[in-house]
Amino acid sequence: MAGLTEDHQPIEIDDIKEETNNKFKKDIVDRESGGEREMAPPAGSSSIHRTSSRPLLDLSKAAIQGNFEEKDPTILLPNQSDDLSHLALDIGGSLIKLVYFSRHEDRSVNDRRKKSLKEKFGVSNSNRRSYPILGGRLHFVKFETAKINECLDFISSKQLHRGGMDASHWNSDDPNNDNAVIKATGGGAYKFADLFKERLGVSIDKEDEMNCLVAGANFLLKAIRHEAFTHKEGQKEFVQIDQNELFPYLLVNIGSGVSMIKVDGDGKFQRVSGTNVGGGTYWGLGKLLTKCKSFDELLELSQRGDNRTIDMLVGDIYGGMDYSKIGLSASTIASSFGKAISENKDLQDYRPEDISLSLLRMISYNIGQISYLNALRFGLKRIFFGGFFIRGHAYTMDTISFAVQFWSKGDAQAMFLRHEGFLGALGAFMSYEKHGLDDLMVHQLVERFPMGAPYIGGKIHGPPLGDLNEKISWMEKFVQKGTEITAPVPMAPPGTTGLGGFEVPSSRGNTLRSDASNLNVGVLHLVPTLEVFPLLADPKTYEPNTIDLSDHSELEYWFTVLSEHLPDLVDKAVASEGGTDDAKRRGDAFARAFSAHLARLMEDPAAYGKLGLADLLELREECLREFYFADAYRSIKQRENEASLAVLPDLLMEIDSMNEETRLLTLIEGVLAANIFDWGSRACVDLYHKGTIIEIYRMSRKKMQRPWRVDDFDLFKERMLGSGDKKPPPHKRALLFVDNSGADVILGMLPLARELLRRGTEVVLVANSLPALNDVTAIELPGIVAEAAKHCDILRRAAEAGGLLVDAMINIQDASKENSVSAVPLMVVENGCGSPCIDLRQVSSELAAAAKDADLIILEGMGRALHTNFNARFKCDALKLAMVKNQRLAEKLIKGNIYECVCRYESAGDQNSSSSFC
Amino acid sequence: MEVGMQGGRLVEPDSKIVSPTLSADEVSHLAVDIGGSLIKLVYSSINHNSGIDDKEKKSSKECSVVPNGSSNYPVICGRLHFAKFETSKINDCVEFILSKQLHRGGSWHHETFGNDKKAIKATGGGAYKFADLFKEKLGVSLDKVDEMDCLVAGSNFLLKEVHPEAFTYIDGREEYVQIDINDLYPYLLVNIGSGVSMIKVDGDGKFERVSGTSVGGGTFWGLGKLLTKCKSFDELLELSHKGNNRVIDMLVGDIYGGTDYTKIGLSSTNIASSFGKAISENKELEDYRPEDISRSLLRMISNNIGQISYLNALRFGLKRIFFGGFFIRGHAYTMDTISVAVNFWSKGEAKAMFLRHEGFLGALGAFRSYESHSFDANMTH
Repeated sequence: MAGLTEDHQPIEIDDIKEETNNKFKKDIVDRESGGEREMAPPAGSSSIHRTSSRPLLDLSKAAIQGNFEEKDPTILLPNQSDDLSHLALDIGGSLIKLVYFSRHEDRSVNDRRKKSLKEKFGVSNSNRRSYPILGGRLHFVKFETAKINECLDFISSKQLHRGGMDASHWNSDDPNNDNAVIKATGGGAYKFADLFKERLGVSIDKEDEMNCLVAGANFLLKAIRHEAFTHKEGQKEFVQIDQNELFPYLLVNIGSGVSMIKVDGDGKFQRVSGTNVGGGTYWGLGKLLTKCKSFDELLELSQRGDNRTIDMLVGDIYGGMDYSKIGLSASTIASSFGKAISENKDLQDYRPEDISLSLLRMISYNIGQISYLNALRFGLKRIFFGGFFIRGHAYTMDTISFAVQFWSKGDAQAMFLRHEGFLGALGAFMSYEKHGLDDLMVHQLVERFPMGAPYIGGKIHGPPLGDLNEKISWMEKFVQKGTEITAPVPMAPPGTTGLGGFEVPSSRGNTLRSDASNLNVGVLHLVPTLEVFPLLADPKTYEPNTIDLSDHSELEYWFTVLSEHLPDLVDKAVASEGGTDDAKRRGDAFARAFSAHLARLMEDPAAYGKLGLADLLELREECLREFYFADAYRSIKQRENEASLAVLPDLLMEIDSMNEETRLLTLIEGVLAANIFDWGSRACVDLYHKGTIIEIYRMSRKKMQRPWRVDDFDLFKERMLGSGDKKPPPHKRALLFVDNSGADVILGMLPLARELLRRGTEVVLVANSLPALNDVTAIELPGIVAEAAKHCDILRRAAEAGGLLVDAMINIQDASKENSVSAVPLMVVENGCGSPCIDLRQVSSELAAAAKDADLIILEGMGRALHTNFNARFKCDALKLAMVKNQRLAEKLIKGNIYECVCRYESAGDQNSSSSFC
Repeated sequence: MEVGMQGGRLVEPDSKIVSPTLSADEVSHLAVDIGGSLIKLVYSSINHNSGIDDKEKKSSKECSVVPNGSSNYPVICGRLHFAKFETSKINDCVEFILSKQLHRGGSWHHETFGNDKKAIKATGGGAYKFADLFKEKLGVSLDKVDEMDCLVAGSNFLLKEVHPEAFTYIDGREEYVQIDINDLYPYLLVNIGSGVSMIKVDGDGKFERVSGTSVGGGTFWGLGKLLTKCKSFDELLELSHKGNNRVIDMLVGDIYGGTDYTKIGLSSTNIASSFGKAISENKELEDYRPEDISRSLLRMISNNIGQISYLNALRFGLKRIFFGGFFIRGHAYTMDTISVAVNFWSKGEAKAMFLRHEGFLGALGAFRSYESHSFDANMTH
């Protein structure tokens, strides 16, 4: 590397600037076509589900690129591009950071189900704002400045500089593409302006760096839930910051020099201090003292250093004793490089490692100290550190944290940002007038971690990938070349220094290589239709995950579970795509990609931000989709649905013969029993080989002897049936969060829904938007209901009323006029996610609308009722039903055993109710 | 100011303060401050004349100001002498003490306990290290006094008793500052030794170490030695006189093409990044002049100390910052950069002050720790 100059200039400052907030003057035309089109799926693969992750393709003028005899030639789609995009750059001395936006309309199928839902719930796409936020994706990409041509190629291949085909929407002043302007910041914005003009025909519009830094930091801290983290003793801990308490804060940008900026709000900031002892001093002095050729090499050296050989410690002065009177321990550094005074040694006699470490500590401590003093001066509670000096380097973060902690006696904390390297580029992006991100809310952002270059922020991996084929090739190479990078690394237990003063934080060492400490930065999906589930009792304190994966043994366990399940999953995925060579190749790439994710997480559990089990399971589903496995369990789901539907009439007859009380118990037993059919559970997969669905179901139900491990059935029964003569009113509307396809939904949840309908309660079946394992999806459900309704009048009338029966739809208008009084509707809504778990902070707008009148929630299955939401509290009655199909979870959560059941009921007003554990 | 004693190889001429408050029956006292690089001696001698001879009085600055208007009284004068030795030449120091028989008068209690039990008040890290040597060579034990106590006692004494003691240093000019004794406290005392201690002083014996930094004199010398091969601190300082830091520091002008970044009051000659220019140039250590390196180093460290000191003074609402310790050593450029830093960061509101006897704070404080020297009693008089 040619040496690092600076990513951010240290001393460029603006007086407090009031940013004129240009509101949109006109709405951006909402467009019908859309979809993520970067990676075209292989042509010809047929899909029975129109899942929304399937892009639409513009195949006009498609041509095969390159040699026609190649096995999997890349298909060039000249008219295919992100139809609306936006690009901003931060061109530093060593790295170029790109932030670009690709429009991705939430292209949910406008079917009749949706149409009728819209009529029922009054769902509108943008009821809160005057202009629509664009759905889309925010990508973060890094290139080495030395390889600027790769960057230009990347921009060119994606036509980012042209803003897709609709640049005029962004640059209304410049409808002519020849005058296209890209916002950029960083020293290179000047240096490379001509190159951009020449290669891409665009001008660079230079933005003030400090403005960009602050705008970037403000955006991240407001829009991303766990953007900030502390770093102590090598451990990262993510911090959720209340938006209302964000300002004021101190932003310390450590470039060549150091700028300290007091941020009071959007566009309101002031450079209050700084120091000339910064990254340039470290690298400059380090270069003179050690002959290192690069900043990274110098940092690398410090990992192996021992600063005691060159720093004068308190103990050196006081003969090994502490100077405890003033709180200095013997190992406190009294004088950086002070030992060099008294010894008859020359520069060559010292190890470069030791010099680098002494230097790093001197500078980090000094910056930490001055930052703290300035925070103190202005009464700022939070200090965020960024800039190239940090670069995700664990030891640097530790020393700065240590200094802040030391000098503040624990009152102040140093914090760091996951997207730290992209502050400037993001800020430049924000400087476009119509980026539409101003009002973006936390719940509208979903971060995904697609595999492969150049999307893994924090690292630079090879050339930009054009399509899936390139990505697969790259995965093949990646695993060959990078096995030792991705192999799991045993984690060292966190040590403690146990001493006051500037001891060496223990994180320095072999577990922390500079490459390993970089955090991954994903693609931010902007989904304007996501909303916070309105029935959460306290959205601020809601934490979806029951299992904390920061517990390393927990992570290890899930790592093993997911790894063991992987071959089976790959087989199913490949089979679901017809078992072709192409499918096999994609399956292989998926396996490698997902293994790499797991390995990365084992190496650094914080690599992808705060990680819960729900995130981990969703990561797997997303990874499958990334390699165009739309629905790995497609055929299995179909087979099981058919088998279950076949036995449903008999089951309904059996149920109908019971009295009300027995029926309710049998139905709940049935839900729990049917929940055994779960392809996500290893133990259950083994069961499948032992009998038919109905046999297993009946055997399972027979074993459902009360009391269950968590058994609130009596409470639930009292609410439903009352006691004595008191007949409670039925619920107005119930939301049933369903889990698996097949027996689980058909033999378990549908009969329960039917019972509720019979009692006059509207039922909304809430299912996944996208497939996850064998979970039933919102797109599949109407077909299943229609099939079931053939044998059941209750279901048929309700489904008709709910607009689920496509064939009967023609008459629905008339029918609803005639029968609407008597028919309680059965509806289906999508939940907005594609994971076996559910994070209720981010659900679809139609679910949020459906929840408005709901007074009962039933969460079913491990993913939605145990792994997540087990501890969630709601504003209305809530029933959580699941069979625990995992020994470890059983022990941990309910102190029970595998196959034991949870029936947890919490009524609306009763926030303190504790379930009865038996 | 008298020419230094010739008993040892002195680093610089010592000076003395004529104390009008020593009583006639006092014998001479000795206190030592044995630091990592220098040994500082303070001892008193008795002047049995009830008056000081006029000639000396006129030529001696120390007597030109007499505290609390006591000049009208006939005073019995003693003198405080100051001497320095390099720690590595401790034997010269021992000989000096022997030749002056300072250790014999060193204990207030010697008449009671006899010479064998004599103790000399001593401070500094070397008070532990060289205790045996003093016992062996001089037959005296070293009575260790806390370093920080001594520093504060020494500086309180100087600021209250000796006028003019404090001065500012701006643009190469010393300017003595008259300090109202009643308005002295609280102040920030910044002692720059190998490391730096920042002490908030609220009164006699009332103080607290509020901060410090490990980037101090030891860093200057230590890094300087590695970078320039200088053999001594003074040689390194000397080099810095002839240096130009622009060769190696990245200045604001280097970033902004020679123009000032006046928006925030930074001129193009402000240092943006110390040693920052070394990054981008294809030069090795040998390609830089030691003079320039020394200058950059000195500015980096002085500026940093000035900044942290100011921030701490601000934090505790202290108006005055006094800088002392061996790093300063009356070195003009050092004082200048510290002054500039304090001035810059405080936007002119705070001023760095220095003490004429700054090197002897510890030794003076140790000297004052002899119980019945009666300075304090006379102060109020």
